[in-house]
Amino acid sequence: MTTATPKSNARKPPVPKQDLAIKVFHWVNIISLFALMGSGLRIYNANPVFGGRGGWTFPTELTLGVGLAGARHWHFFFMWFFGLNLLWYGIYILFTKRWKNRYVSSSDVKVLREGNNPKRKNYAYHRLVYTLFIPLLLLAVLTGLGMWKPVQFGWIVALFGSWQALRVVHFFSIPAVLFLLIFHSLLALKVGEWRLVRSIFA
Amino acid sequence: MSFQRRNFIKLSSLSLLLSACGSGQIQGQIDGSLQSLSEEPTASFEQLLFSTQRLAPEFKASEVDLGTNLGNTYEDILPNPDLAAYRLTVGGLVKRPQSLSLAQIKALPYKSEIIRQVCVEGWSKIVQWGGLPMVELLKLVEPTPEVRYIFFRSLDGFTNNQGELYGYYETWDLASCIHPQTLLVYEHNGEPISQVRGAPLRLASPIKLGYKNIKFVQEIMLLKEMPQQVGYWEDQGYEWYGGL
Repeated sequence: MTTATPKSNARKPPVPKQDLAIKVFHWVNIISLFALMGSGLRIYNANPVFGGRGGWTFPTELTLGVGLAGARHWHFFFMWFFGLNLLWYGIYILFTKRWKNRYVSSSDVKVLREGNNPKRKNYAYHRLVYTLFIPLLLLAVLTGLGMWKPVQFGWIVALFGSWQALRVVHFFSIPAVLFLLIFHSLLALKVGEWRLVRSIFA
Repeated sequence: MSFQRRNFIKLSSLSLLLSACGSGQIQGQIDGSLQSLSEEPTASFEQLLFSTQRLAPEFKASEVDLGTNLGNTYEDILPNPDLAAYRLTVGGLVKRPQSLSLAQIKALPYKSEIIRQVCVEGWSKIVQWGGLPMVELLKLVEPTPEVRYIFFRSLDGFTNNQGELYGYYETWDLASCIHPQTLLVYEHNGEPISQVRGAPLRLASPIKLGYKNIKFVQEIMLLKEMPQQVGYWEDQGYEWYGGL
């Protein structure tokens, strides 16, 4: 028994090393996203996007903030962390040239179409899913900005055509984020097991 | 195995934390802390973006939303003043204080606009407003240079615990009052404004959330400092700036 432990340890693949920047980005992102989604649902309840007054509302247990006033304070507090986190991360991946090889590329598409190495395929799926987060989160910021400041950013409202379209798209960022989050987590576990997930947060 | 157990403990402490957040009292305290941390810097950023030159989009008469009857009035009793006796008083830090009858207000410059009115609840509505641009009233009273805020008070419509009557009230920043689309309105969708929409006179602007657009205005005070009581909804926890 005593000899078995070091032996199995020796076989373990090394724990991936992650930059501090990636860890900070993931922490701030996941905390602010959940705060924004919870308070967003409470704001939704003040006047449901679907059905308007008298429309179906979300159970209060799923929401954050007391009343509309409180939920707005949550939303407008965490929007800064969420938005600025995306901004510096964008600058970081630009300057470290990570944008060149960290995101889904034509080679991943080729693997997904023709490849038969299941490990390489999972990796391609993983890269595809986390890359999709980028346009999704930017869309959430854009539609949020359009509803928060429809006069200062009148072009955003014009771009989406109508106020209702803006509300619908902003609302759908919640199910879309949750959907991608599930696949992102499952694929991360599949590609790198718990030690990869752990390396991103600790 | 130890890894998994640790994860399980982490997850359960996280859910415990979340359910603690769910209790109303703690949540109310968190709401207040988040407000005190972020409201002022956020409003400063918004004031930096704001320009009295940047106009809200205007719409065609055919786009006016006549179908939906959305609006909010919380008064216990709808103010119904004697229109002949009604006066709008404008005072505070001004060179020429005024007490204006409705006829005098209607003799001042008139502007009509078809704009999107946005409610804090999330809905919006295209409406036509007609009335006196706030900036024209300011020209008439000649504010002194130290004016920063404008306080509005409504005719009495609320009853407090002691049975005393009081009015809705609001405070605006000066720049938003100077904005050319900020009006003292006496016309709505081409008709004289109805009682429930704020007759005889209300504030309306596409640059502010609906609750800033005070109805039944009877008193305007130009101030240097923010008053103790900022506004009816602000004093119940809503943000003050409410700019769009």
